[in-house]
This record gives sequence, structure tokens and C-alpha cells, in this order.
Amino acid sequence: MADWSRRRFLQLAGLSGAASLNGCAGIVSKSNSKAHVVVVGGGFGGAIAAKTLRQLDAGIKVTLIEPKASYITCPGSNWLFAGLTNIKNLSVDYRALSADYGINLVSDSVTRVDAERRRVMVAGGEAIAYDRLVMAPGIDFRWDTLPGYGEASAQIFPHAWQAGPQTLLLQQQIQAMNDGGVVVISVPAEPYRCPPGPYERASMIAWWLKQHKPKSKIIILDAKRSFSKQKLFEAGWAKHFGCGTANSLIEWQSIADNPLVGLDAQTGTLTTDFGDKIRGQVLNIIPPQQAGRIARESGLTDASGWCPVEPQSGRSKFHETIHVIGDAAHYAPIPKSAFAANSEAKACALAVVALLNGRPLPEVHWLNTCYSLITPRHGISVAGVYKLDAERNIGMVKGAGGVSRLGDEQAAILEAGYAGGAYLSLVRDSFG
Amino acid sequence: MIRLVIAAIGLLAAGISLAEIETQAIALNCRNCHAADSSEIPTLTNLSAEQINRMLLDYKSDKLPATLMPRIAKGYSDEELKAVADYLGRR
Repeated sequence: MADWSRRRFLQLAGLSGAASLNGCAGIVSKSNSKAHVVVVGGGFGGAIAAKTLRQLDAGIKVTLIEPKASYITCPGSNWLFAGLTNIKNLSVDYRALSADYGINLVSDSVTRVDAERRRVMVAGGEAIAYDRLVMAPGIDFRWDTLPGYGEASAQIFPHAWQAGPQTLLLQQQIQAMNDGGVVVISVPAEPYRCPPGPYERASMIAWWLKQHKPKSKIIILDAKRSFSKQKLFEAGWAKHFGCGTANSLIEWQSIADNPLVGLDAQTGTLTTDFGDKIRGQVLNIIPPQQAGRIARESGLTDASGWCPVEPQSGRSKFHETIHVIGDAAHYAPIPKSAFAANSEAKACALAVVALLNGRPLPEVHWLNTCYSLITPRHGISVAGVYKLDAERNIGMVKGAGGVSRLGDEQAAILEAGYAGGAYLSLVRDSFG
Repeated sequence: MIRLVIAAIGLLAAGISLAEIETQAIALNCRNCHAADSSEIPTLTNLSAEQINRMLLDYKSDKLPATLMPRIAKGYSDEELKAVADYLGRR
């Protein structure tokens, strides 16, 4: 695995860790607002929201509530299956946010939001008052959508859709599998976190299998009829993994009209509506998703399970002083990605500062860029620029965005490098 | 390297206009990819406003080939790109 990309990636990771930045030097303005903004959730959205608020107005006190001392990023976690990274390289902490930006860190979990009295209760018993609350709770899974499958099943059939022990469990199962085994990846209907993620994952697993267990196969069972960057992925799979031949390492099947109806945990067999049985030595079941628990319990979700927001400010449609950003919120057509969460958080922070200082809300743009690796030297991307349309809904700016050029081999090599660079930049911007 | 960009973003600095804040709303997103000093993706701190503006316009019109930036630059008006370039180039 000592290829160019791995070396570059580790080099970059080292560089990222070594750099330091005195962010306080950058705070050039301070209002007399003395307002207190509480941010719940220390993922990409919550971290950059807290940091941007402090950068925009050092007069605002910002508290970030996050139970974990460190966070393992979902972006980049598929690269672990190809041996390009490890959990340590994917781990970030909150020390810079606290030390360099004066963010008050509370290492606890929120048990309840009292929207009427504008305070949050944490498990330790404290009640923390806020002027505005920014919720970035990420996703939870819907465990009850497949008979035979439940929360405990994830210890046997890992989702690995929140990076960490689940990622390692899936990797261990793949490494322990016999050559000739079948890995099944079950993909939910949209919306879910990271639309291209399952296909990058299949690519990274295939890359490893091709070298270590080449008789094996990956079957993707997809609740959708098509998927993000499909032509680019399929071209890459044809080029590298025999897609379209009898010996294809990756087989994609849409089961939109023939959905999964059950799991037999004893035999590792999935059954579809028409009675098809798909057995895998490794089952990577990615369940359907919803907004994180605290958002649901705080009355911020609608029937879809996600949080509707007024996009310009990120304000909840149900609570005027609560904003929701990131995967938990409904910002469609912006996809649920860490990059998009970062962009949503910045727009939200601008709005929060404007509201706290009695200024008009600015018009904002959102940006999403998402790189995927097909191999360590074959990268692809999708981008989108978004702003409010005439009806004040989020719309994709016409003529902009889109995916990489199909068949451009030089671009594919460049974009593999950019994938690593963009990841490190996003981590630095959000947590550094 | 990104300190210069960070130093840019005080919102309440004297005289800052709504238009300036809206430019900031665009420019903050540049940092998603251009915050780390990697050899893959350059930071913008060594470029002047004029250089950034020329590059953004050339990406937009496909005069300057690149993998991603032409797709992004097409999302903004020439005036927005100029304002972003001025904003980034000042810092």
C-alpha cells in the first residue's frame, strides 16, 4: 500500500497536525452584545458555527456542548478500507476551538431543550441559558425499518455510517472474510448522510479486495434507482474492477421496486419483496436515517424526521430562537455532507450575529463540493452553488456545479490528490 | 497561512456594509478547500485581488482550465467574483 497517494495523505495529515494557529489574533471586532450562543454538537457543522461566531463578533459568548473529547470524521473514513488512513489520522479534538477562539467547551450531552425559557439541560444536571441556540446534532438511525434488524444488529452487521468502532468492525470483517466471499452493502433511500458515500466505500473495499482477496465480490443493494456521480463511478469500476464483465468485483442492483423485507441474522441473508435471497459473508447495512435524538425530542422535526428551517438564517420553523444546521436539517437540494454543513454553519453564523446586533439578514450563498476516491489515484467530484430563488427556497444556481469530466484520466489523478487536500482543509477550517 | 483570511472576517468593523457582509458570505466558503497549506490545493494569501479576480473570471469563461473551479466560478456574477477577489486580496 506504499503508493503515492498514501504517502501524500499521511504527509498531509502530519502537516495538518503540526501546524498551529493563533486564531484570537484574527478576531478584529467586538460588539457590546454580551449575548450567549449555545451550539449543540461538535461535528463539522457545530464546530465551524461556534468558531465563525467568535470570529465574526468576539463580544458574543459561545458555548459548544459535545460529549466526546475527540471526534472521528466520517469524511475520509472510507479511505481506511483501502489502507490509506487510520482512525488516528481521522481524529480531531476541540482544543484549538477552546484555546484559540475562546469557545467555552462543555463535555456533556444535552438531555432537554427548554425552548420557552431558552435553556438547555445537560446530563450533569446543569441548566445552560442561551440567547440563541444552534443545533447540529447530526443523524440517528431508524432501527425499525427492516424486520430481523435492530440496533443490536449493528454489532454483527455494521453500518459504519458514524465513523469509529463501526468502521473498524467492518474493516475487520472484510479482512477476516475468505477469498471468494461476498460483501453486501445495503443503501437506503434518500435523504441520508453523504449520498456518494456508499459507492466510494464499495470502491475502497474493492481496491483492497483486488489485491488481497481477488475472487471476492461486492453487491450493492440500492433502494434508489440511480445514485450520485453514477456515470463516473461506473466508468471507474469498469476500468479498475471489471464492472460489466463476468468477473466484476462490484455489482450494483437497484431494488427500488423490490425492497428488502427481512434479515435472517443467523445466515446473514437479506430477503426482498419478490423473495430474492442475498447472502453475504459481510453485511454492511446502512439503515435509513433521521435527525439526531435531541432535535426530535425538542420538537424540531416534522413528519419526515428532519428539521425544517428558514434557510437564510437556519432558524427552525418551530422555534424562533433555535437554528438547525448540518445533516439534521432540511436544506434540500443541498446534500447532507460535511462540506455543506460547514457552508450552512457559516451562513447561520452570519445570520445569528445579524439578529443579535439588530441588523438585517444578509443574502447568502451555499457551496457544496464532494470528492470521492475510486482508487488512490482516481478521484471524482461533484459541486453545487446554491442560493435563494424567487420563492425564497434554496435553488441550485443554473450553469454552475456538476460532476467531473468523464474519461479525463489526468483530471482523475489530480482529483485524487485534491480529495486529500480538500479533506485536510475542511478539517483545518472547522476544527483548527 | 489562513490567519490572513481569518483576520478578514470581523463583521462589525466600522463601516462594514450589508454588501460587504454578503461578499463575506461567499468568501468564507473558499476556506473550505483553501484553508490548509497543502501542495494539492494552494492557499490564496499570496495572490493579489487583481490576480484572484482574473483567475476567477478565466475559470468562469473556461479560459483557464481546471478540474473544479470552473464549475464553481460559474455560480457567481462577475460583480460578485470581483467583490470576493477584492475581499480576499485585501487580507
